Amino acid sequence: MQASAEGAAGSGGGSGGRAHAEAAQRTATDKREKVPSGATGHYLLGLIYRYTGRMEAAAEQFVQALTLDPLLWAAYEELCMLGVAEDANECFSEATALRLQKEHTSTSSLEKSNFVNENRFLSSNVSASLSDIIPKQIKQLHANTTAEVSGYPHVRTTALHVQNGAPSNLSQFDTPSPTISQTSCIAPPPLFRNTHAYQNTTGANAPSKPKVNAANLTLRRKYLDEAGLKKVSGRLFNQSSDSVPRRSARLSRDTTINSNSNIAMFGGNGADQLSGNRYHVVDEMWTDNVAATSSSASIVDGKFSEQDKAERVLSQDSKLAIGIRELLALLRTLGEGYRLSCSFKCQEALEVYRKLPEPQFNTGWVLCQVGKAYFELVNYLEADHFFELAHRLSPCTLEGMDIYSTVLYHLNEEMRLSYLAQELVSIDRLSPQAWCAVGNCFALRKDHETALKNFQRAVQLDSRVAYAHTLCGHEYSALEDYENSIKLYRCALQVDERHYNAWYGLGVVYLRQEKFEFAEHHFRRAFLINPCSSVLMCYLGMALHALKRSGDALEMMDKAIFADKKNPLPKYQKALILLGLQKYPEALDELERLKEIAPHESSMYALMGKIYKQINVLDKAVFCFGIALDLKPPAADVAIIKSAMEKVHLPDELMDDDDL
Amino acid sequence: MESDGDEEAATTPATGGAPPAGRLKGRPELSVDDDMREMAKTAAWSVSSCKPGNGVASLRDDNLDTYWQSDGAQPHLVNIQFQKKVQLQLLVLYVDFKLDESYTPSKISVRAGDGFHNLKEIKTVELSKPVGWVHISLSGADPRETFIHTFMLQISVLSNHLNGRDTHIRQIKIYGPRLNHVPHQPFHFTSREFITYSTVR
Repeated sequence: MQASAEGAAGSGGGSGGRAHAEAAQRTATDKREKVPSGATGHYLLGLIYRYTGRMEAAAEQFVQALTLDPLLWAAYEELCMLGVAEDANECFSEATALRLQKEHTSTSSLEKSNFVNENRFLSSNVSASLSDIIPKQIKQLHANTTAEVSGYPHVRTTALHVQNGAPSNLSQFDTPSPTISQTSCIAPPPLFRNTHAYQNTTGANAPSKPKVNAANLTLRRKYLDEAGLKKVSGRLFNQSSDSVPRRSARLSRDTTINSNSNIAMFGGNGADQLSGNRYHVVDEMWTDNVAATSSSASIVDGKFSEQDKAERVLSQDSKLAIGIRELLALLRTLGEGYRLSCSFKCQEALEVYRKLPEPQFNTGWVLCQVGKAYFELVNYLEADHFFELAHRLSPCTLEGMDIYSTVLYHLNEEMRLSYLAQELVSIDRLSPQAWCAVGNCFALRKDHETALKNFQRAVQLDSRVAYAHTLCGHEYSALEDYENSIKLYRCALQVDERHYNAWYGLGVVYLRQEKFEFAEHHFRRAFLINPCSSVLMCYLGMALHALKRSGDALEMMDKAIFADKKNPLPKYQKALILLGLQKYPEALDELERLKEIAPHESSMYALMGKIYKQINVLDKAVFCFGIALDLKPPAADVAIIKSAMEKVHLPDELMDDDDL
Repeated sequence: MESDGDEEAATTPATGGAPPAGRLKGRPELSVDDDMREMAKTAAWSVSSCKPGNGVASLRDDNLDTYWQSDGAQPHLVNIQFQKKVQLQLLVLYVDFKLDESYTPSKISVRAGDGFHNLKEIKTVELSKPVGWVHISLSGADPRETFIHTFMLQISVLSNHLNGRDTHIRQIKIYGPRLNHVPHQPFHFTSREFITYSTVR
């Protein structure tokens, strides 16, 4: 029932069926507060709320999901994106670790008791060869069964942890049963790498278990995928390998495999596991139904002492604790980093990411996040470096590649941008990021119409990518079609209210249309969302200057200059403002300082010439105009500068503001 | 400032105050500076007369096989009215003597103004068996006159080759300066450092 509800929610996710999906989901979750799917159910409900624009309800649901399952990274991600996530240290804290641990240890004790209970339900179709089964397996097996049957909330993760906590003397074991994991697979390369747990003992320990009677028992694998449960029947195997079905975690094992024809295969996960890993052979039986399971359980129970089991449970618990702590530590760092970068506290986010151990840092997701943080800080060179690394390490990840293409656009790297765009399109023609990159290529060559077409394709492919809408808006703006550009920016904001690029875009449009108060308002919104971008500060200052609030404008410019020393624009704008206030010496000072950063800028010399003319230092004025012309400005500027040069020697002539 | 490559020596005396131009021949490719862009996409285009099937739309369809054919008395007029005052720099026509012979215009007068009532001639050009794109610069000699600021442009075909009555023009494009992508700036930015930081994308 639960699976079907989730399926309904999933399929009803389209705009038409949202209410239906919601209703279905809500009934599902209301009825079963404690089911494992409770966490993912809440997550799904949260997504639905978010897509329909009800942010507070969405946040609530995500928080619920996290409370039910603290390892649900996707829910934490969503909270970060909504801007309301709590500190990762709180979320993935020691308390959580203890809680998780407790749940799992309690589960194992529950299992122990279950063994006893189910003794009664034995059936006799279990062959005697089951005697070789180690209690460990049975526990896992049982865990699975219990999961299925009783709907115990965390038994799945429990099973997971149980297996991970397996003691190292698993010479005869191997890796555990396929567990149904709750951990969402959207996460960064998570870690359930409890390497102690799976130490391989030598091949000499290769068990020589008798072949189990395959006829009687069938294997069953269950694992939770994103939509619900899926049962896959595998084959009974002896001396075969196995791997954990958890898609998000890969237990690393370095065991040897005793070759056997019956290698169990999992649904999708098995293939890559199998090729990569070798497993120590083990006997594992998976029953198809409860009765058989219980029967096997009971048989084993009979064979092994309680003492033995207790021992294993204990060492298993300590492994469990270590595993949980490791995982939470990682999630804590990643979560904190992600939360900080979503709230645009980029410097701090970078510091947090740097705390990660090297192998974790050098992964696609983390490097992309680092690149993104540098991008928000307007440090395009570093961003370029990290994105390139990320792309090289995981060439098929397309998340964040649209930002990379923008970085290349800003750096004017035409060739690399077009190469990237072609690569992305060849990897996945149907991804919006690829088409964003292609569009950026054309925009760089000033072919705005083609760029617009490509961005529209991106929007078509996935209208929930806010950035695609924003880019369309930028192109309309470049084509001077302000109505449409406003419309597109608003679409972007509808998808994601914290998309500061759209706020910025709206500000620019209003600035052009001379609606200065609107412009200031929108720039301020953008600035409030991303307070570390010096370019945003600069534009806010420009809007303030247009509103004649020169004091505020200068303050803003100073902030921008302070925020990023390498950005020449705020200095230039400050000089402009000072010129407007007729503070000529200060303006000239500013421009002199600017010369050191950007010595080849025509507009800077032109402005200097203009100021010299105002203060009547005519020879310097002409000199500056000359340099400005040498630096090849566009025709419009050439006209202005040349006419200014002519007028320099005629101070009596009435000058109109138009020219200079 | 002539922007056309091949020219014969100017022989036509000035008429009505407009400066003389050389006889233009036309170039096979359209070559326009990167800092110019096409300005007339949102303008209102009209013609004095046309033959059914060869109307004004053929002037703007980016197809060199379709042409506008006039159908009345000379001078034939193409009127372009902009929604606001624009800066224009270059006018480009595609004509083909080999295909059109007596329909090819030979003398063209370009006028600008606020509307039909106050158009003033700014340029007269003579064409001599042109094949290809004819670039007609609208700038004056003075650097202050690089652009014309106007609401309306009128292209008037005064006479055709071989004294033809009607005229064919295959395509017309009008160019002006690009917008500064940073609003309210007195000058454009030229260096990489400035341009990189000049916008948020």
